[in-house]
Amino acid sequence: MRLHTSRRGHSRAVVGAAVAFAMLGLAGCAPGAAAPEESDGVAVSTELTDEEVVLTIADETGFPVTDALTEEFTRQYPNVTFEITRDTFQNLTANAPRLLAGENPPDLIRLPTIGDTVKDGLLANLDPYYDAYGWDAWPASQLSPLRMTEEGVRGSGSLYQLGLGYSVTGVYMNLALAESLGIEEPPATIAEMEEMMEAAKAAGILPIMAGDSDGVVNFVVQALMNQYADQDEFLSWMFNEPGATYATEGNIQGAEKVREWADAGYFPSDINAIDYFTFVTRFSEGEGLFTFNGNWAAAGYQEALGDDVTFFLAPPANEGDRFIAMGAANSFSVAAGSDNLNEIVFFLNWIHTNPEARQIIVDITGASPGGDPSLPLPTVEPGSLIEKALEMSAQIGEDNGQVDFMANTTAGIYAGSIIPESQLLVTSQITGREFVERVQAFYEQEIGG
Amino acid sequence: MTATQTSSAPRRAAARAAARRADRAAWLLLVPALVAYGSFVIYPLATGIQYSFYDWNGIGVATWVGLENYVQVLMNPDLLGAIRNSFVLIAFFTLIPVGTGLVLATLIRTMRDGFALRASQTVLFLPQIIPLAAAGIAWSWMYAQTGAVNQILSTLGLGFLTRPWLADYGTALPAVGLIGSWVLTGLCTVLLLTGIGKIDTSLYEAIRLDGAGWFREFFTITLPGLRQELAVLVTLTVIAALSTFDIIYTSTQGGPGRATLVPGLLIFRIGFTQSDVGLASAFGIVMMVLVLALVLPIQRLSRIGDR
Amino acid sequence: MITSRTEVVLGRLLLLVAVVLTLIPLVNMLSAALQPADRNPIGLSWPTDPQWINFVTAFEVGNVWRLMGSSAFIVICVVPVALIIATLAGYALGGLQVRGGRIILMVFVLGLTIPFESLIIPLYYQAQALGTLNTQWAVIFPLIGLFMPFSVFWMRAHFVNVPRELSEAARVDGATLWQEFFRIQLPLALPSLSALTILLFIWTWNQFLLPVVLIADPLDRTVAGALTFFQGQYYLSIPLLNAGALIIIVPAITVFLIFQRQFIRALLQGAVKG
Repeated sequence: MRLHTSRRGHSRAVVGAAVAFAMLGLAGCAPGAAAPEESDGVAVSTELTDEEVVLTIADETGFPVTDALTEEFTRQYPNVTFEITRDTFQNLTANAPRLLAGENPPDLIRLPTIGDTVKDGLLANLDPYYDAYGWDAWPASQLSPLRMTEEGVRGSGSLYQLGLGYSVTGVYMNLALAESLGIEEPPATIAEMEEMMEAAKAAGILPIMAGDSDGVVNFVVQALMNQYADQDEFLSWMFNEPGATYATEGNIQGAEKVREWADAGYFPSDINAIDYFTFVTRFSEGEGLFTFNGNWAAAGYQEALGDDVTFFLAPPANEGDRFIAMGAANSFSVAAGSDNLNEIVFFLNWIHTNPEARQIIVDITGASPGGDPSLPLPTVEPGSLIEKALEMSAQIGEDNGQVDFMANTTAGIYAGSIIPESQLLVTSQITGREFVERVQAFYEQEIGG
Repeated sequence: MTATQTSSAPRRAAARAAARRADRAAWLLLVPALVAYGSFVIYPLATGIQYSFYDWNGIGVATWVGLENYVQVLMNPDLLGAIRNSFVLIAFFTLIPVGTGLVLATLIRTMRDGFALRASQTVLFLPQIIPLAAAGIAWSWMYAQTGAVNQILSTLGLGFLTRPWLADYGTALPAVGLIGSWVLTGLCTVLLLTGIGKIDTSLYEAIRLDGAGWFREFFTITLPGLRQELAVLVTLTVIAALSTFDIIYTSTQGGPGRATLVPGLLIFRIGFTQSDVGLASAFGIVMMVLVLALVLPIQRLSRIGDR
Repeated sequence: MITSRTEVVLGRLLLLVAVVLTLIPLVNMLSAALQPADRNPIGLSWPTDPQWINFVTAFEVGNVWRLMGSSAFIVICVVPVALIIATLAGYALGGLQVRGGRIILMVFVLGLTIPFESLIIPLYYQAQALGTLNTQWAVIFPLIGLFMPFSVFWMRAHFVNVPRELSEAARVDGATLWQEFFRIQLPLALPSLSALTILLFIWTWNQFLLPVVLIADPLDRTVAGALTFFQGQYYLSIPLLNAGALIIIVPAITVFLIFQRQFIRALLQGAVKG
C-alpha cells in the first residue's frame, strides 16, 4: 500500500486504518480453524445394535425413496427409527457443509458434491466398512466417483459416499408423435436424431421439450458433449484433477451442436421460463417429440403416456460407437460427527443387499439398486420404462460408459456458471465455444480461489 | 442576600446530583437495547469486516489476504453486473413509486375522506403486508408465458408483445423492477397524500387566485411542502432496491443468464454455495457502503432545506 | 376550494387504475389456486369448478400447522422483547433526554441503512458459535437486534413529543421515575406501541432471508421462509403453490385489516416524525 503523505488528514486516516487492521491481525483470531470433532473410538461392527436408536437423515424435497426405505427398515428392525428433514436441493447443497460441521450433524446426508468436506474432515471414511462388509464385490466403476483422495481429487482414494440407487439418463420419445412422423425406431446416431427433429419441426411438432430456468437443459448439453468428448478427459475435469480442463475440442463440439439446435428452433421458445416441473408436465401432456431426462422420471411418464413413450440411451455420434451417458449415485454421505456410525452404515449396506430394499429403490426411483451384480434384480413389469431403464444401466455398465453429471464438478459451478451460461447458449446469445470457455474460467477461479 | 446565596448553592448541587441520578437511570434503560443492537448488529458487522480480509471456506483454516477480496468485488464483471442491476432497480423501486405517488396524491388531494378513499388506501397498502417472497411467486405466475400479463395483452390486441417476461433478456430486469413498483407505489401514495393534507390549504387558494395552473402549483407549493416525506420515501425505497433478495430468489434466481443477478443473491451464493466467506463478506460491506453513500446525501439535502 | 374538473376526473381514474393493478396479482393467485391441482392453469380466468380442496391439500402437504406454530413461536419471542427494550431506550433518549443521547441515536439510526444481506454471513457463523444454528433462536436473537434501530427511533419519536410539563408535574407530586413511567408515560405511548407491535409482527412473520439461511429444516422457519420449500417441491403444482402462498399471507392480511386504521395512521406519523 502506498501512502500519500501530502495531506495530513488523509495520512492520519490511513494510519488509523492500518492500526485497526493490525489489531485485527494481532488479535490472532483468524476465523474458523477449529477442527470438527471426530467421533472415532467406535469399533467398526457389522452387527446391528439392539438398543433403541434414532437415525437422522437430511434429504432433498421430492425424493420420497428415503421415506419408504426407512419405513421398511423400521419394520424389519423396530429398535431403529428415523427422523428425516427435507429442504430444496438448492438450499440443502448450500447448507450441507455447515450442517455437517454443526453440533448435531445428521447421520446421513444427501450430498451431490463432496467439495471441501473431505479436506475439512466432515465426512466419515467408509474404507473400514468396505473391508468389513466385503463391498469389493460391487462394481468398482460405480464406486469410484464416490471416492476422494486427501488432495481433494475425486475418482480414487477413500470411499466417502454410497448411492441410494444409481441413476442413468437418456432420451424419452413420444411414440404417438413419432408414428405421425413415420418414425419407427429410436435414432441410432446424432445425425439420425437431427433428421427426426427437422421432420418434427416441419410438421409443427416441438422437437425437444426442455427447460432451463433451473438449468435442466444441461441434460441435453452434456448428453451431446459426452458423444464428442474424451470420456477420461471429461471425467478428470469433473473429478477436479490438477490441470484438467473443460475447454476441450470435444466439449466445444457438443456445445456448438446445442447452439445449432437452438438456432434451428428445436427447443421451446420460452425455454428459460420453463423449470423442471413444467417441462416434465408438458412432455407428459404430449408436447414434444423428445425429452432428455433420467430414469427417475420413467414411472411418471409411463403413467401419463402409457404405451406411447419409450426410453433409450442418447445416441452416439457414429453408429456402432459405445454408449456414454450421465449417471450417478443418488449420493449420500455419513457425517464424521455421527454418533451412530455402525448403525447408519448397516442401513446403507442393507439398502444395497436386502431384497425388499432393492425392490423399493427400483419401484420408486426407477434406478438401479447397485451392489453386488450377482444378486437377483428386483422384479419389474415386462416392457415397462423401468425395465428399459434397468437394461440401459446394464448396457452402460457393459460399455463402461458412465460419466458423472458436470453440475457436480464443484459446489458453486452449477448455479454460478453452468445455469446462467446455458441459458445464454440455448437462446443463441453465445456460441458453444464461449459457453465452454466461460465455464472453464469460472472453474479455475473457484478451484484456485 | 448572603442567606439566599448560601442556600442556592446546595440546592443547585442537589439538582445536579438528581440530574446525575436520573442520567444514570436513563443509561440503565438504554442498556438492553444497546446490548441487543451491539450483539446482533455491531458485532456481526465487525466480524464481517474481519472476514472480508481473509480467504476462508467457513470451516477450515483462514488465510489473511488483505484487500484481495475487495479487489475482486471491484474487478469481477459478474459482481459489478449485479451492482449495476441493482442501480437499474432503483428506477423501479424509487422513481416509479414516488413519481406515481406524487401525481396521484396531488390529483386526489381534494377527494372527500369517504368510503371510496379509505377502501382505496387499504387496497394500495396490501402489497406492503404480504411477504416479498410471496410477491415474487405471485408475479412469476403473472409473467409466465401462459400468465395473466400475456393474456391481457392478447385481449387488448397486443398479442405481438407477449413473451415469457422473466425469461427474456430485455424484459427480465424491468419486469422484476415492476414487482418492486407494485409493492411500493401504494405506500408512497398514501404517505404523500397525508403529507399534502398537512399543507395549508390557503396556500393553494392563493396561488389559484393568482391564476397559476397545476404545474406551477405543484412546483411552488406541493413539492416543497412534501420535502420531508419525499426524503423518507426515497431513503426507504433505495434501501429496498438494493436489497431485493426475496423477490429475485423466488422469481428468477438471477436469470436468464445474469440479467437479474443482484448483490443479495450473489452474497448468498458465494458465501454459502461456493463457501467463499471472505469474498461474500467483502461484497456485503461494499453493498452497505453503497447504501450509505446513496442515502446520506438525501438525508442531508432534506435537512438543508429545513433551515 | 378551487379545483378543475379534469383534475378531479383524472385523479379518480388514476386511483381506480392503481387499485385494480394492485389487486390483479392477488386475484390471479386466488384464481390459480382454485384450478384443478394436476394441471397448469392458463392466465387469469375464474375456474368453472373452483377446487377449494386445493387449500386443504396445500395445508396438509405444506405442514402448515407446524409452520404456523413455528412462526408464532418466533413472533412471540421477538415482538414483546423488542417492544420492551425499545420502549425503555426510546424513553431514555426521548423522554429523559439523556446526556450523550444524540450520539446514541445517531448510532441506532445508522443501523437503519444496513441491508440484512450485509450481515447474513457473520450472523450465520455467530449462530454457529452460539449453538443456536438451525433452531428458531438463530432467527429470534438477531431479529431483536436488527429491529432495534427502527424501534428505538420510533419510540424516541413518540417520547420526545410528550410535553415536558407532564413529567415535571408528576415529579412535583413526588412520583419516582418508575411510577412516572408506568402511570403517565406508558398509557400515553399505547398508540405508538400498538402500531409498532403490528409492524414488528408483520416484519417477523414475513422475514425471509434470515430463516432461509439460519434454519436448515424448512418446517422450523417462518412461513415466509418456508415458501421456498413449497416452491422446491416440484411435484407440487402451480395451483397448490398459489394456494400455499395464499394460506401463508392470510394471517398477516387479517391482522392488517383489523388494525389498519391505527396501522396506517401510526406508520404515516412515525415515518415523518424523524
